[in-house]
This record gives sequence, C-alpha cells and structure tokens, in this order.
Amino acid sequence: MKKTFAWSILGILCWFFLNGCAVQKQLYYFGDYSNTLYSSKKFQDEESLLKHKQELEKIISESETKKMLVPPGIYAELGFLNLKSNNSKEAIVLFQTEAKIYPESKYLMDRLIQMANKKDPEISAVSNSTE
Amino acid sequence: MIVILLIPMMFSCMPKMNTKVSEFPLMYEEHPLSILILPPMNESTAADAKQYYSTTIQEPLAYMGYYTFPYPITEEILKMEGIYDTELLVNLPLTRFKEYFGADAVLFTTIKKWDLSYMVLASNLEVSIDCALKSTSTDQVLWTYTGTVVVDLSGGNTGGGLVGLIAQAVVTAINSAAADYVTYARQANYRALYSMPFGRYHPQYNKDKNVEFIDQTPEEKAAN
Repeated sequence: MKKTFAWSILGILCWFFLNGCAVQKQLYYFGDYSNTLYSSKKFQDEESLLKHKQELEKIISESETKKMLVPPGIYAELGFLNLKSNNSKEAIVLFQTEAKIYPESKYLMDRLIQMANKKDPEISAVSNSTE
Repeated sequence: MIVILLIPMMFSCMPKMNTKVSEFPLMYEEHPLSILILPPMNESTAADAKQYYSTTIQEPLAYMGYYTFPYPITEEILKMEGIYDTELLVNLPLTRFKEYFGADAVLFTTIKKWDLSYMVLASNLEVSIDCALKSTSTDQVLWTYTGTVVVDLSGGNTGGGLVGLIAQAVVTAINSAAADYVTYARQANYRALYSMPFGRYHPQYNKDKNVEFIDQTPEEKAAN
C-alpha cells in the first residue's frame, strides 16, 4: 500500500516534470525564417533576398502539408516582396489571403492593396511605353 | 525515499517568483491581439546591433500567440512616414498606430548591451534587451521585461594549456561572427518573453494567469 502511494507520487512528479520540459506542440512552422531574414538584412543582395523569398514560399507549402496555420505575416511579407518586384496582381492575392486568415491584419492589408492598385496602372503604362 | 529527497530539493533553491496576472494585470484586461514591433533602440556600442536584432523578435512573439505585423513591411512604411528612430516616439501618443496599422499594442525594444567585455582573467559576451509593450488605446505599459544572456567565454579555464587555447579560439570566432550575437539575442528574447501572458492564438491563452516566473527586476528597482 505504502509502495503504491510512493509510486503514484513519483508518477505525479514525473508528470509535472514532463509537462514542464517536454517540447510543446509548436503553433506554427517557421522553417528557417529568422536566419534567411537575418542574411537578407546582413548582405542586402539579390541572392539572400531570393533565398528569403523561397523560404517564405516553403513555410506556406510546409504549413499546408502539416495542416498548420501559416504563421502571421508570412503571406503579407511574400506579397510585399511581389509588390516590390512589380508583381502587383500576385501581391494583392497574397494580401487578401493574409487578411482572410488573420482578420486583425485587414486594416494594414487594405492599405497595402491600395498601394498595389496604385502601382499597377503605372507599371502597365511604363511597360507599354517601352514595348 | 526518492520523493523525500526530491521535495526539499525543489523548494530550497527557489528564487523570488511572481505570477503573470499579479505582475501584468493590464494584459488580462486589454487582451491585445495584434502587436506592431518598432525598430529597436540601440544603447549598446555596436552600431549594427539594431539591424541584426530586429530580425529576431517577430518569430518568438508569434509563438506566444500574438498577431505580429510583418516587421520588414512595417519598418519600411515607418521609413516612408519619416520614422527612422523609435526614440522619438517614446513619449508620444500611440493612437496613430491604431489608426494607421490597426495595432492593439506596440513593442518597444532597447538593446542595452551587445558586446564582449574583456577582464584580466575572463571575457564575457553579453546581450541584454529591455522590452516594453504599450497599449495603442491607453498608452499604458502592458508588459515589460529584461532579457539578459551572459556567456562566460573563458568558462573558468583560465589555467591556460590546451583548454585555454580552445577558449581563446572561441573568443576570436565569436568576435568575428556577428551571427553568434544573434543566437544569444534569440535566447535573451525567449528569456524575456517567458513572463509574457499568452496571446489569443495560443492554447494557453487566458489560462496562464497563475503561471509563475522568476522575478528578474533588479533590487534597486524593486525597492522603489
């Protein structure tokens, strides 16, 4: 009787210990995000920026296969990179997706969509004149 | 027998503890969901610390369950608006961040230390970050904490010999690679964020009021 009591206490202690130390199920898949972002800041060249962009795309696809929510800001950041490389249409779709998953971002996303819309006619005008 | 040994061990070395709700009650009143990370303020001697540190905050904050506005975007928008230095914003009303971004709260970070200090027999790498989360509707401080990581690079191997040489090599390696600071900055972040109540996307949201954390407030501050 005494023995089982001791064992049950030990069991409870182990449970606490495991709860405290066990790696909790992660909320998101962030991949190598911090590192590629850091590199793109450090080197500020095309190559590291492209790597970061590919990482963002990888985070989205991996999150989908793992059936996890894409982390906050990832769709928006990819949209912003598209906007900068004059791919406004793709950018708008990505901003809309971010706002759909995270309604609290809608305010900023609408602002970014406005920016993209403003940019779009300009781009088409420029490309038409050069063609 | 084991149990009898374990219990005194668990209590004997306990530092001062605080619960999340007693320390940061406003977090549970306002329940901020979206956080805008402001460009870090740099009080360290390393000029590049600001740029590097800024890449380390968003990810852990998202893991805490908050919506974090993507830093690369907000940084650029703030620049467009002429805001390069967060120092200028410290005492200004923060409602504009609610109006412009829709943010519930803004995170101020200050890099206190980001350097190696050489002493006669030892050298330390120290990264120290001050964080303060402020409400955009009331301007009040919702959460504040300091995360410090000190790495003793000599590790007591001051006797020289082979181990001393290796320690020396580690010093040089760290000195030359800024990336290592970033590693420790991430640790400092996790240390600081441990005291932060979880946000809405975290399963522990609103269930962590009585979670205890080690009170790291410096003695002189606590006395005030």
